[in-house]
Amino acid sequence: MDPYSAEGELINIHNHFHQGQYQEVVDFDVSSLSAENALPARVLQLRARLALGQAEDVLADVQGETESKPELAAVGALAQLALGNADAAVEAVEALAAGDAADNVTVQVLGGTVLQAAGKAEEALALLGRHQGSLDAVALIVQIHLQQNRNDLAVKEVAAARRWAQDSLLVNLAESWVGLRLGGEKYQQAFYVFEELAQAPATSSVRTLVSQAVAELHLGRTEEAQAALDQALKKEPGYAEAIANLLVLSVITGKSAEELTSSLQKADAEHPLLVDLAEKSDLFDKAATKYKAKVAA
Amino acid sequence: MQASSGMLTKFESKSSRAKGIAFHPKRPWILVSLHSSTIQLWDYRMGTLIDRFEEHDGPVRGVDFHKTQPLFVSGGDDYKIKVWSYQTRRCLFTLNGHLDYVRTVFFHHELPWIVSASDDQTIRIWNWQNRSLLCTMTGHNHYAMCAQFHPKEDLVVSASLDQSVRVWDISGLRKKHSAPTSMSFEDQVSRANANQTDMFGNTDAVVKFVLEGHDRGVNWVAFHPTMPLIVSAGDDRLIKLWRMSETKAWEVDTCRGHFQNASGCLFHPHQDLILSAGEDKTIRVWDLNKRTAVHTFKRENDRFWVIAAHPEINLFAAGHDNGVMVFKLERERPASAVYQNTLFYITKDKCVKSYDFQKNVESPTLLSLKKLGSPWVPPRTVSYNPAERSVLVTSPADGGTYELVNLPRDGSGAIEPTESKRGQGNSAIFVARNRFAVLNTSTQTVDIKDLTNNTTRSFKPPVGTSDIYFGGTGNLLIITPTAVHLYDIQQKKTIAELAVNGVKYVVWSNDGLYAALLSKHNVTIVTKTLEQVSTLHETIRIKSATWDDAGVLLYSTLNHVKYTLLNGDNGIVRTLDQTVYLVRVKGRNVYCLDRAAKPRILQIDPTEYRFKLALVKRNYEEMLHIIQNSSLVGQSIISYLQKKGYPEIALQFVQDPATRFELAIECGNLEVAVDVAKQLDRPKLWTRLSTEALAHGNHSVVEMCHQKLKHFDKLSFLYLTTGDNAKLSRMAKIAEHRGDFTSQFQNALYLGEVEDRIQMFKEIDLYPLAYMTAKAHGLEEECQSILEATGLTEDQLNLPTFGEPLTPPKPVVPTYQANWPTKATSQSFFEKALLGQVEGLSLEDEPAAANGLGEAEEEGAGKRDTLGEAEEDEDAAGWDMGEDIVAEVEEGFVNVESAEAGGAGSSEADMWARNSPLAVDHVAGGSFETAMQLLNRQVGAVNFAPLKPRFLEVYQASKTYLPASAGLPPLVNYVRRTVEESDPRKVLPIIPRDLEYLASNDLQRGYDCMKANRLEDGLQVFKGILHSVLINAVGSDSEVAEAKKLIASASEYVVAMSIELARRALGTPDAVSKNPQLVKRSLELSAYFTIPKIEVPHRQLALLNAMNLAARSKNYNSALSFANRMLANGGGAKILENARKTKAQCERNPHDTVEIEFDQFAEFEICAASHTPIYSGTAHEECAFDGAKYHTKYRGTVCVVCEVCEVGKHGSGLKLFA
Repeated sequence: MDPYSAEGELINIHNHFHQGQYQEVVDFDVSSLSAENALPARVLQLRARLALGQAEDVLADVQGETESKPELAAVGALAQLALGNADAAVEAVEALAAGDAADNVTVQVLGGTVLQAAGKAEEALALLGRHQGSLDAVALIVQIHLQQNRNDLAVKEVAAARRWAQDSLLVNLAESWVGLRLGGEKYQQAFYVFEELAQAPATSSVRTLVSQAVAELHLGRTEEAQAALDQALKKEPGYAEAIANLLVLSVITGKSAEELTSSLQKADAEHPLLVDLAEKSDLFDKAATKYKAKVAA
Repeated sequence: MQASSGMLTKFESKSSRAKGIAFHPKRPWILVSLHSSTIQLWDYRMGTLIDRFEEHDGPVRGVDFHKTQPLFVSGGDDYKIKVWSYQTRRCLFTLNGHLDYVRTVFFHHELPWIVSASDDQTIRIWNWQNRSLLCTMTGHNHYAMCAQFHPKEDLVVSASLDQSVRVWDISGLRKKHSAPTSMSFEDQVSRANANQTDMFGNTDAVVKFVLEGHDRGVNWVAFHPTMPLIVSAGDDRLIKLWRMSETKAWEVDTCRGHFQNASGCLFHPHQDLILSAGEDKTIRVWDLNKRTAVHTFKRENDRFWVIAAHPEINLFAAGHDNGVMVFKLERERPASAVYQNTLFYITKDKCVKSYDFQKNVESPTLLSLKKLGSPWVPPRTVSYNPAERSVLVTSPADGGTYELVNLPRDGSGAIEPTESKRGQGNSAIFVARNRFAVLNTSTQTVDIKDLTNNTTRSFKPPVGTSDIYFGGTGNLLIITPTAVHLYDIQQKKTIAELAVNGVKYVVWSNDGLYAALLSKHNVTIVTKTLEQVSTLHETIRIKSATWDDAGVLLYSTLNHVKYTLLNGDNGIVRTLDQTVYLVRVKGRNVYCLDRAAKPRILQIDPTEYRFKLALVKRNYEEMLHIIQNSSLVGQSIISYLQKKGYPEIALQFVQDPATRFELAIECGNLEVAVDVAKQLDRPKLWTRLSTEALAHGNHSVVEMCHQKLKHFDKLSFLYLTTGDNAKLSRMAKIAEHRGDFTSQFQNALYLGEVEDRIQMFKEIDLYPLAYMTAKAHGLEEECQSILEATGLTEDQLNLPTFGEPLTPPKPVVPTYQANWPTKATSQSFFEKALLGQVEGLSLEDEPAAANGLGEAEEEGAGKRDTLGEAEEDEDAAGWDMGEDIVAEVEEGFVNVESAEAGGAGSSEADMWARNSPLAVDHVAGGSFETAMQLLNRQVGAVNFAPLKPRFLEVYQASKTYLPASAGLPPLVNYVRRTVEESDPRKVLPIIPRDLEYLASNDLQRGYDCMKANRLEDGLQVFKGILHSVLINAVGSDSEVAEAKKLIASASEYVVAMSIELARRALGTPDAVSKNPQLVKRSLELSAYFTIPKIEVPHRQLALLNAMNLAARSKNYNSALSFANRMLANGGGAKILENARKTKAQCERNPHDTVEIEFDQFAEFEICAASHTPIYSGTAHEECAFDGAKYHTKYRGTVCVVCEVCEVGKHGSGLKLFA
């Protein structure tokens, strides 16, 4: 039986993870789980700890077990990535992918994450493509397609997954991600999914709140978006995504964004928004030099 | 008298004696009633017998077509009159009543009546609608031989062997039968009573005139179609002409000439001629006015029995002992010649006229040729000499004559030629400026003559020469019945010869390089050296031809205008309702002469032949033009293209997917074929596509086809050959899911998976095979376990010897990763051209065009490189199709293609720049370069630095960051201002601080700054507004106007504030007051501050400032004017009070102490850079964006108001709304 299915033992911890409730994952009582599910649960907990920024601890945790368990090796690679050792992480993943471990779903998902994060989208997709009905992999594939701007492929992937995993959380999430890309009526549908998650106390997390805010932002409901983001920041003041989207929101509403820019700088100096902005700033300066007045003033 | 050779026979039939003839009024049909009881229906144009009607008993003497209905009537020696339908091809009914042979039958031209004449001495009128006898006319006392209705009046004329011709009045009959309601009962009673006086009803038709003059029986009689004339033919061998008035009729004259019984006669429908036919085997033509013989056409053996005229066309028919002949009296082709833009032609009344093709006007008569030849013979040809402005006209009269006459400068009516030179000859044409050639067929000589008609040289042409034509400079084309000779006049010899039968006309192309030789049914195109280029055959007679400027020959047949290219490709251009003679083609106009020698213009659509010509000449630009600009579709053009080996071009015209597929396969355009196949999704198409793709080596298409067709084994094999082991193992899994052991085994074999195979054998209890397999691969353990399972020992087995174990070959090259490099398909050029991708198509000849093709392909290849990713995507899309299919088979899992992925696509931000012409959308999309380019073009923006915050603001506003999978960066999504839109080609980004926001926030802030005297801040705010509007978008045209207003207003504020700031920068009031220069400048600036068109309350502030300053500096006059302006503006009481006080103070001494450059009465604007006046009317420059004014010396500097645009640089204008 699929341990992640509605009756499975891992459904709750798995959902917590994907709803962004990482602390709940870490605190999850795994002692009662059957032996075969112990490892996947442990991996989830390790991943949650990684998401909570405890990369070094995680690395230490898996130390020594990576040889025997490819899952833990993959977790190790992910931890390396989180610590900024992208090269080492990729190397580890590539080693895993080349061997038999490539058929291990955890290796696929974590390896795909590492590869995609390192900008090796093709390799990531190749590895993920070997999955055998893993929704984690599907969601990751969808995200990679979206990052590649292949909305068409993402749509297809979701539609295919929809067929065999009706109302699974991950499919809903992935579909909402795609929906936010496609726009139109899909904005509203995506909003419903995020709102449901964000507003129920059992499932609410900063991530879902930010997601809800983003959907509202796209729908042009700036006030509601503001409220959701404020709520998220109250929960976790240093959450970079919340700050970034709040920054965007202030720009849209014509407010000054300077303060937020600096707080984002503090929260995550490498945030794509900042990186992108710096890049565009350079681009602007470069492009602007092409033009000059005939007569200097 | 003319020999019978002048007759133009169009058709002859062989049969027994023809007694009656009738022309169909519209179709080229003739009815012939024969002595043998048959009625024949002939198509005289095609020369075919359409039908035969055989119900009469004995000879049929009279027939007639109905004018409008598909009917005809016949009368015969069986006393019967039969009415037939030629549509149903049967006799509808029979009218019985006559008591002897019926001689003639005729329909009435409008009433449903038939008139018949019979040997029973009566003439009867029948109603064929109710099939009744209306009237029997008695009076003749011998056989009634002929009776006809008058074409317009209520008259009948009859001829009888009693030597009389009678004219009957049938108006009573018409009254009685066609208007019964107009009669009162009394009338009817009286009429009935009157009729009772005569038991035969004779009062309905009364004899009007009895014409006596023939002294033998009269065989035929006919009315003139328009004049009150009658013509009759009798056994006294005479043709008599009669005239009648209302009250009487009399004999006019007699035409003598027949030396046997005259059997038929009629008036020419259009000319003043009488035709008669007789048993002396002649047809004779007489001048109606002079009653002299014009022509006699003699037949050797056959006596003529009847003659008939076509009602519309210039055609006649005569029946004789052995059939009928259809003939014309004269050629109807008007003689004509074309020189440049002028057509010279000879009208029916023998006048030379010209016609200007450019102005479409006919000239008045240039010359009358009445005296040329005989009066009834039209000239045959005309040849024009532009150097001498003379014409050479030939006429067949008198055995062939020619006449050389000079044309007058301007035609002014029928001018008789003053001086003409004439001579004997059948053909005469100009061959040089001062020479013409004359052919005399009887002596078989060609004379070259000078303009004084003296023979300069003479030679014998080839034997049997019938005609000569111009053959290029110094040459003649000599026509014999079987060949055409190109004859050099100087050398007196034939330099080329081409065997072509029966050439009648020669038409030279406009450039003189080609000539078309027209014969009755053939067109032969030759070069100027008489080499045959092409030839074509027409079943319908070819009438004329002319070349268009591009080298297409248009020719006319009896009923069509057609075209032929030099290569012989031909087709119909349009149909003709009457025969015309083409003289010229220009664009869509075909100029021609009709049979009445009137110039006419026919409209044609030259698209088809132009397209074909362009195709032949490989003129792709022209083809493109035609394809794009005309609706050139249709099966014929498609099949033409296909036939000619241009399926790729045909592809452009086809919408129908099935045909598209065929064409795409044919031209090897797999891309299109795949598209169509997907669209249609039929197994047959996939099969064909897979075969074709396999031939191309395009295995990814093959793979898709197999997937579509679910050809699993083929798919497996394909993967084996392409070395795609990963997919091969997928196939094995699929086979497992399908439960197909054979397939599973096959895949295992391909993969070399021995264990799997053994396992499979075991599963299906084929232990011997399993054992063998294991043994062969040396898997001893496995062998043992099998033996154990089966309870046997090795000794009990009898094994054959094993060869080498089977291993599948290892792929050396990973072929599956990419297709074989396939040749670029040949149509890519054309397709690209159609898509507008190829520029500068070469118009040169073939090799150059071929180069062009090569370049285009290279270019295509280049594109492919740059677009490599995009194309991969397409492939990837193809893969995904397969994915779905397999997924279906597999209940949602095994994904053959999972390893496959597409490259990155273009993000929505990239789309924005593509979707919009607005700078702001490019900014939001991050395409700063193009945005700058746009702004530079629109408003001359050059200094972008101040726009940077706005650029980044707009850029930032359009992207959100969605947290997605843990461990990965957030997903970037794109915020739209078109929230409802989901079509990626229409979406546009959100714009922060739109117009509404600016007007309600920034503008107010600016006003606040003004009021609070925070001018530095205000300046920044207004500049900010300008920058924000510059990078913005609005939703409607009215909003564009609002934006313009906002720009203008912000600009005025910036100027105003900077003036005041400049004044303050002069120094502290104390410092200024010490320096008279500064005082003056300070006063000027304060005055200028009042000039910009800022809001009134703000202007008041400026005025107050200026007034106080002026008053302080004792410039009372200026202060007064400021005070006055303030008072005029009105507003706050405090300010007004202030103004009033100052005014009162100043009025006491209206005088300025400091002279300043400020004329309160002049109209001027302030230069934004120097803060000095620009008086109206003086030259100045502007900023294209904010409209700030500058002295001309500031041209080329950056505008100080917006700080972005270059002063004086004009652009296309700011675009805020697409």
